[in-house]
Amino acid sequence: MTVTPANQLEERTPDPKGAGPTAITSNSPTALAFARFRKDKKSWVALVVVVVYISAGIAAPFLVMFGVLDPQTANQDLLNANTLPAGDFWGISWTHPLGVEPGVGRDVLSRIWLGITYSLAVSLAAAFIAVFVGVALGIIAGFAGGWTDAIIGRVIDLVLAFPQTLLLLAAAPVGLAILTEQLHVPDGALAQGMFVVLVLGLFGWTGTARLIRGQVLSLREREFVDAARLFGASRRRIWFKELLPNLWAPVLVTFTLYMPAFISAEAALAYLGVSVRPPTPTLGNVLKDSIQYASGDFLYFFAPAFMIALIVVSFNLLGDGLRDALDPKGDR
Amino acid sequence: MRRAIIGIILLLALSLLTFVLFFSSGVDVTRFACGKNCTPEKRATTEKALGYDKPTVVQWTDFLQGVVVGRDYPDDPELQRESPEIVTHCPAPCFGFSQVNAKTVNSLIAEAAPVSISLAMVAVFLWVLFGVLFGLIAAVRKGTWIDRGIVGATLVVYAFPTFFIGIFLLKYVAIKWQLLPFPQYVTIADGGVGEWFVNLLLPATTLALFYLAGYVRITRAFVLESLSEDYIRTATAKGLAPRKVLFKHALRAALTPLVTMIGLDLASLLGGAIITETVFSYHGLGALALRANVSYDLPVLIGLLLLAGAFVILANIVVDVLYAYIDPRVRLD
Amino acid sequence: MAKMRKRMVALSAVAAMTAAVLAACGGGSDNPPSGGSTGDGEASAKGGTLQYLQHFPFESTDPQRIYYGVELANFRRTLYRSLVAFPFDNDPDVANTPVPDLATDTGTSTEGGKVWSFTLKDGIKWEDGSDITCEDFKYGASRAFADDVLTGGAGFYIKGYLDIPADPKGGSMYKGPYRGDGQELFDKAVTCDGKTITYNFNKPWPDFPLSVASLMATDPYKESIDKGDRSKWVVMSNGPYKVDGGTWDVNKGATFVRNENYDPATDSPDLLRQANPDQINYELYTAPEPILDRLVADAGDDKNAVTAARIPPAYFSQIEGPVADRTATVESPYTNYLVPNQKTLTDPKVRQALAIATNVDGYIKAEGGEKAGVPAESIINPGLPGYTEQEMFSGSNEGDPDAAKALLEEAGVDLPYPIKYTYGQSETQDKTAAILKEGWEKAGFQVTLDPLADTYYDVINQPDKDSDVVWAGWGADWPSAMTVLPPLFDSRQNFATDANGNVTNLGQDYGYYQSDEFESLVDQAATAPDIDTQNDLLTQADTVLANDVAYIPLDTSTFYWLYGSGITNFMTDAASSSYPDLGPIGVTQ
Repeated sequence: MTVTPANQLEERTPDPKGAGPTAITSNSPTALAFARFRKDKKSWVALVVVVVYISAGIAAPFLVMFGVLDPQTANQDLLNANTLPAGDFWGISWTHPLGVEPGVGRDVLSRIWLGITYSLAVSLAAAFIAVFVGVALGIIAGFAGGWTDAIIGRVIDLVLAFPQTLLLLAAAPVGLAILTEQLHVPDGALAQGMFVVLVLGLFGWTGTARLIRGQVLSLREREFVDAARLFGASRRRIWFKELLPNLWAPVLVTFTLYMPAFISAEAALAYLGVSVRPPTPTLGNVLKDSIQYASGDFLYFFAPAFMIALIVVSFNLLGDGLRDALDPKGDR
Repeated sequence: MRRAIIGIILLLALSLLTFVLFFSSGVDVTRFACGKNCTPEKRATTEKALGYDKPTVVQWTDFLQGVVVGRDYPDDPELQRESPEIVTHCPAPCFGFSQVNAKTVNSLIAEAAPVSISLAMVAVFLWVLFGVLFGLIAAVRKGTWIDRGIVGATLVVYAFPTFFIGIFLLKYVAIKWQLLPFPQYVTIADGGVGEWFVNLLLPATTLALFYLAGYVRITRAFVLESLSEDYIRTATAKGLAPRKVLFKHALRAALTPLVTMIGLDLASLLGGAIITETVFSYHGLGALALRANVSYDLPVLIGLLLLAGAFVILANIVVDVLYAYIDPRVRLD
Repeated sequence: MAKMRKRMVALSAVAAMTAAVLAACGGGSDNPPSGGSTGDGEASAKGGTLQYLQHFPFESTDPQRIYYGVELANFRRTLYRSLVAFPFDNDPDVANTPVPDLATDTGTSTEGGKVWSFTLKDGIKWEDGSDITCEDFKYGASRAFADDVLTGGAGFYIKGYLDIPADPKGGSMYKGPYRGDGQELFDKAVTCDGKTITYNFNKPWPDFPLSVASLMATDPYKESIDKGDRSKWVVMSNGPYKVDGGTWDVNKGATFVRNENYDPATDSPDLLRQANPDQINYELYTAPEPILDRLVADAGDDKNAVTAARIPPAYFSQIEGPVADRTATVESPYTNYLVPNQKTLTDPKVRQALAIATNVDGYIKAEGGEKAGVPAESIINPGLPGYTEQEMFSGSNEGDPDAAKALLEEAGVDLPYPIKYTYGQSETQDKTAAILKEGWEKAGFQVTLDPLADTYYDVINQPDKDSDVVWAGWGADWPSAMTVLPPLFDSRQNFATDANGNVTNLGQDYGYYQSDEFESLVDQAATAPDIDTQNDLLTQADTVLANDVAYIPLDTSTFYWLYGSGITNFMTDAASSSYPDLGPIGVTQ
């Protein structure tokens, strides 16, 4: 299995040179795109879910501060002799709507909720890095062409040739040591979080780079660029006024599709023990504990996985919806 | 030919990068190999036996030399002279020697590879079969609830983390409902193809469910696109049977992207499915990698990284060659 | 001890290796196993195949490199015999008393325990049919000195005791059989006279036979097959079984078949090895969960399966009805404890406050409750001689935050008092840490949790670490507190120093503890004229430790076993360190 964001991404935005149904022709006016998006009910639902998650993620630290959420306090009196939540229906109650964690009795809802904050923060940071690197190298490759293009192409091949799950795993001790010993990041959750962000970002950009390169290549040949050139526009002006505005659409789509890939990747890394370590409750960490209870405590087993699946599906649908809206030709 | 040369250069770059990553990062790799209560004396011996005292580039060229002509372990002439009885010869192509296992990396890979290859093959079979089938159905029934159901369901299954799906299948399908036997790798030689296949079904399904969504969507999209193209319309107008149109022309359009995806996904799986193999306790390359990582068994990690990299690079070449057969237009490029 | 190293692996990436994988040996247990056990020495039918489901890979199958308790217990019954061995018996007193195995008796000592001699039985053979000679024993002991090549194992005891001078650098003048320097010194310390082997020690070693039975450092080894580190997974058996193919596969396991060159007439089958199954299959898993799944299901071959993977708390609710009849709960010889850092928590009142605020009951519940552990009141296991309930740790096990807070205020420190707790990361340990943190914070501490992964024991033995409390676990190497207190708290045998006399490594004295009073009591105990005096002195030494809060005991691990319905004579005794004992075990066919 791969946690490879690039791979997952490519399943959805493959092969720009094929110019098949996935290529985005982004010269359609924004208003048209918006109108198309508005009609897409599925994407609207996805957008609502994404907005709810993001708001919840932003609110969580404040709710913890005001004592509404409490991811740390133990309630061992709520556990039975088998150290599972006592009572019917997996021990759910008004104070603990998703029950409590076996063994310790911490509130499951609070842990998942705060986990959303951490997972979204990690994915967002990684997605920014991936998009930034990908767009930068994609534009350079597309414009410069020749040797520069070839070299960037080979670098992409190289990054894609690395078995990424294995590399992330093997690089964890090395990467953490570099962060803490050479860059003097304080050891602990911050360094671990930075490691995850960096590896996801630095291995995830290839898809964007290829996509953007393809876009730039096709844009360069477009009439309006020729027209601008004909009117004697400077190179700089062509870059910033004519090309970049036409790239925001594919960038937005890839960014949206990076999010679910990185949320899943964080969970996989947590399972392998190289994500941010407990007690910080990322979604992956909560899930890593909960999967032990498949037969002991089904609600606890299922809830964190469901919360991950819901946001991953929503981000994917939103990304698809955006693409469809921005690219009416693609039939998806 | 040009492709093959680029592939070899890529592999060389990959191996050099791997060595630099592990040996020039300032991390004390000997500490991991030496173990608990490592005395300075023991440390020095360990360092020498593994060759970690040499500069990174020398270690890398030694490694390359081992791949081409083989080498002896420990690779230190002094140690070899002192205790000739402990020297192991590792014939070419030698990928290193694992101190932890007291075995060559080649033999470790040879033991684990059949499991990963079997798993990958069954998984690919499952997801290609069902991915194309569901993709076709969705395309033909475009816009109906069948279409939406297929696309939606595969996406939802994909969205659940793989290890969760694996554990769910194990705990419920195998243990609670007992629909399948508790999976346990059986070689074809021991149990025949049937046993082999049945035991691989759950882990392969776990993998297949992860990949399925992508294949359904690709198949569906390309079939839909080609169905709208003129030559298909012409074929249909000529009175060709719809089924024939579908299989002969529409599916053909999806073949090129499918072959690309299959090639690359298969290659990444052949390097070992770490999570699935862990969940199901299969002793394949992925499990080997995880164990090597825990004990920081660098030679094994390096060997596996390069093997997996080689698979990916090879797959790229194979896919390019296949293109030419599938799509005659490619030759014109 | 290797338990440590194993813990380290158990903390690793692989999911949920919750069961403590503990090493070493000996140690008594008060409770005879409940359920399942069908009594001592009762013969099971011969034949059948026993499945042994392993949840972590072994460290080596070279006897001189083995230190995991479960491996020592298993291999002593199946592959590797020694001069003397512990018999299987539910009575810990019987199971802790060695009986002759390859030797004709349990050894004779002269010069007040400084010289030990054993005479070998006739007709004892290796699996290749050759005789086991005195030289094989001598060669085996010599391999303890090659600890640069043969890492791991418990050779340091024999290495420290044998009468061989030290070189100026502090190592032994004898460098082991591979390098050969100082061979004549070793040949003087261990001598062979026909079938009689004699060990000369530099100080009295009254419980040497216990160490021979518990550990494998003095096991015989055939020089002609020794390839140093390359022999790590080679098995040359002298017991009732041999490994099919002769090599253990660390990533898979092995199949044991009968060893035709083993003659039960040279053994005591009713005490040591009934060797009932015809075959034993070791099968390696990456975690306890799939093993417990199989054992709960109890289908096919799994009916004849045992495991050393403890039942994790997540499975407790499935252990009911007929499944519960296939379980055994037994107190283990292993104690979990906390070590306050004497260099950072310099005020004894602060350490006392920490001890008083520690919520042991909560800790145990987070581990899985009464089936996971019982509160400990000393670092010495209740099954060991010299145990006493230390006053410092007795009383309520829930932790008393108010009393602790009063102590902190008395100490005059600023509250909240910041501390850092370092532990080896695992799902279960994360939970226990959360509980400990909460208890301490109620008393006025402010706790930073510091979970470490694979390199745990490489970090906590560093003298300059910044953690204030670390977690550790320990089990005696043989039934004597001499294998508990000095290895954990005697700074002289733990600290490593550089040329300038700076401490570079704390060994197992993780808290940087040094006490002249404690060390003088240990010295008196080491040269005590008899075992009772020794034990009294050790009890006093333990009290010194307790009053200094050199450690805070948490609990004695409980082993909660599940086995297949086809298993007969399931026994967990002191001889097997409370692991399933393969001596009497049998399977129904």
